[in-house]
Amino acid sequence: MAWSRKSAMFASLATALYLLGLVLRNPQLVTVAVVLLSFLTWAALRAAHADVAATGRRIDEDDESDETPALASLSAMRKISAARIFEDGEISVTLRLQNQSPLSKILEVKDTVPEVMRIKEGANYILMELGPRRETLIEYTIECPLRGFYTLGPVSIRVQDPFGLFHKEKEIHVYDDFLVFPKTEDLKDAFVKSKVPKIFTGAVHIRQPGEGSNFYNLREYIPGDPMRKVNWNAYARSGKMMVNEFERDAVSDIILIVDSRAVAETGPVSRNSLVYSTRAAASLAQFFLSRRDSVGLVLYGSDINSVDRDTGKKQLYVLLTKLAGAAAKGNTPLQVVTNRIMPHINKGSPIIIMSPLEGDPTMVNAVRDFRARDFDVTVLSPSSLEFEFDAKRLDRTGYEVLKTERDIMMSELRGLGAFVMDWEPDMLLSTALAGARGF
Amino acid sequence: MVQPGKSSDTAHLYEGKTVRAAAPSRKKLAGKMSAGGREIPKDAVPEVHIPTFVESLFGGPLIPKMKFLPADRMVQTLQLIGGGLMMLLAVLTYLVTPVEGTFWNGFAIWMGVDALGQILHLLIVISALGAGFYGIFRRDARGLLASYVLFILISLRFAASKVTFETGILDDLDEGWVKLLLVIYAVSLVMYIEVTNGIIRFSMLDTSIRTGEVYVMNVKKVLSRYHASLVITPVIATLVALATLMINVIIPWFFDMFDPETARRLSESVELTSVYGVALGTMIVFMVVAILFVANIPLRIQQWREALD
Repeated sequence: MAWSRKSAMFASLATALYLLGLVLRNPQLVTVAVVLLSFLTWAALRAAHADVAATGRRIDEDDESDETPALASLSAMRKISAARIFEDGEISVTLRLQNQSPLSKILEVKDTVPEVMRIKEGANYILMELGPRRETLIEYTIECPLRGFYTLGPVSIRVQDPFGLFHKEKEIHVYDDFLVFPKTEDLKDAFVKSKVPKIFTGAVHIRQPGEGSNFYNLREYIPGDPMRKVNWNAYARSGKMMVNEFERDAVSDIILIVDSRAVAETGPVSRNSLVYSTRAAASLAQFFLSRRDSVGLVLYGSDINSVDRDTGKKQLYVLLTKLAGAAAKGNTPLQVVTNRIMPHINKGSPIIIMSPLEGDPTMVNAVRDFRARDFDVTVLSPSSLEFEFDAKRLDRTGYEVLKTERDIMMSELRGLGAFVMDWEPDMLLSTALAGARGF
Repeated sequence: MVQPGKSSDTAHLYEGKTVRAAAPSRKKLAGKMSAGGREIPKDAVPEVHIPTFVESLFGGPLIPKMKFLPADRMVQTLQLIGGGLMMLLAVLTYLVTPVEGTFWNGFAIWMGVDALGQILHLLIVISALGAGFYGIFRRDARGLLASYVLFILISLRFAASKVTFETGILDDLDEGWVKLLLVIYAVSLVMYIEVTNGIIRFSMLDTSIRTGEVYVMNVKKVLSRYHASLVITPVIATLVALATLMINVIIPWFFDMFDPETARRLSESVELTSVYGVALGTMIVFMVVAILFVANIPLRIQQWREALD
């Protein structure tokens, strides 16, 4: 049983009046003190009826030894409408509270909701009278404006005396995890094509010889070639053993590189470079995967996290999950990323880098390396300057200076043959991409 | 044209000057922004309402982020009850608290203006009323706190050991009635504190409900428990206080079962009828209460009630 500040004040006042009454030989003060003490005592007796316990999914009770069987009379169970949603989506939560006791209770119930969530309908903080052997449903809807992994719970229950002097609290350890994916944008009009692959209505084929079905070329027979590949007509014409070569059936590998260094979170929580980058990466992944391309993802911040290239819907959810959990920390340079991934990606694959282009002296060299190996590099740069300027954290002079610095960096990258887009807040991704491609 | 013997670069033009190869870094710039505003941007600090001492004293766990909305019926009722209690308390305070023995009376006598003590005494009661009315109807906790302090201040006086009011008005009253009046005064003071505190608490709750911060299910039942407590608690407090004040009757009655002579002597004891008797009574009563707690009686009662079902 916990004391409130009010009860502490009452107790102190009662003690002081009691002692003063004795010193001043004033029964009036002593009487007031006695009444205050009786008031407190009665409230404490009432509050001692706190009768809270938990049963429900994923119980993690700490089994305090002072609890008695009577405390097992209240249980809570939560149900959520979805475990995976996109940003700005809504989740309906239903909390079922059961009172198995034959006594009714006045409860203050608070279902803990992550701070960034907004309660759209209903309330997660309820004051109620729960009758004997009754159950009640608390329903509310939360809006999820930011990507990430979140947990609902625990359920805090407080029983207190009617005067708010003493209370008993208990956390019911019922948790529900859910995932908020970055918001995606429809990119019908924006597309990125590499010079090497051809874009068909679907998979992007790479014009390189390999195992495939489309004819690519003829070449001389090399010992070890299978006999079924020998082109007998060509042999008859030229007198040399010739074999057919086929176009490699592999689709192109789109590599998305998301800068999740600490600097990427400069700006307000809901409007910063990382938020925009993850949304862009999610939209691009969805777009390319819907075209049956193979998409890989590299997230770099304190370390390098990558998702190997793959196709299909499953890959989309793998990528979205990875993006949902992207946290801004560390300061790994892009050069380290390029050195690590370059040997593993197909030559000519489109590479899309999403970065604020700040605080990384290796940026130019890294892009140069990509370009030197003929990769098609697109840089989408959400400008944190704009976020900070909009949030009035940067004065006009500072903004101009930094903007110039940024423009110089982008010009340098463009000079290397990369498509660079200064992505301003509120600009649609498709517009930004179109700008980057020079359409 | 480059002159012979001179370097072709332009470094000499910048001698003694700071030459910047690139635009200043953001870190440096951030450091220089002190002139424009060293203070932390307002939006960088999340809005967290930290309750003040007075707020936390008067509020429960529900602290609304805005001012109170117009009082609802419950709050209006409490305001009326609070106002009525305060009037009763003011009258009782004036009746049971004579000016004799107070600091300001001593001061007035020392000044040679005897009437000043009574005037100051009355002024304190009126000030307590004024502050209370302001606090109740403006729902301002500071006014209420001032009122509590004044109502307690007025009873701080050196008094006779025996319960006497020395006002002249209540001189003819029987001892039992005097004690009852004293208990009613004490209970009304405590109830005044509680009810006026309830005004603030329920205003906060009402505001929280109307702003959607909290939802109340079965409002009537929740409120009815509070109403019931407002009736039951003073009755219990009155009984306990009477038990302590009537110790000079209870103890002789107890001993009368064993030895009537001792009982008679005890009933005539000056100590038992004085403030020390009250202190003794308090000790005895609260020892009984302590035993109840040690034996965990509330929980046992609850278990018994649950087992009945």
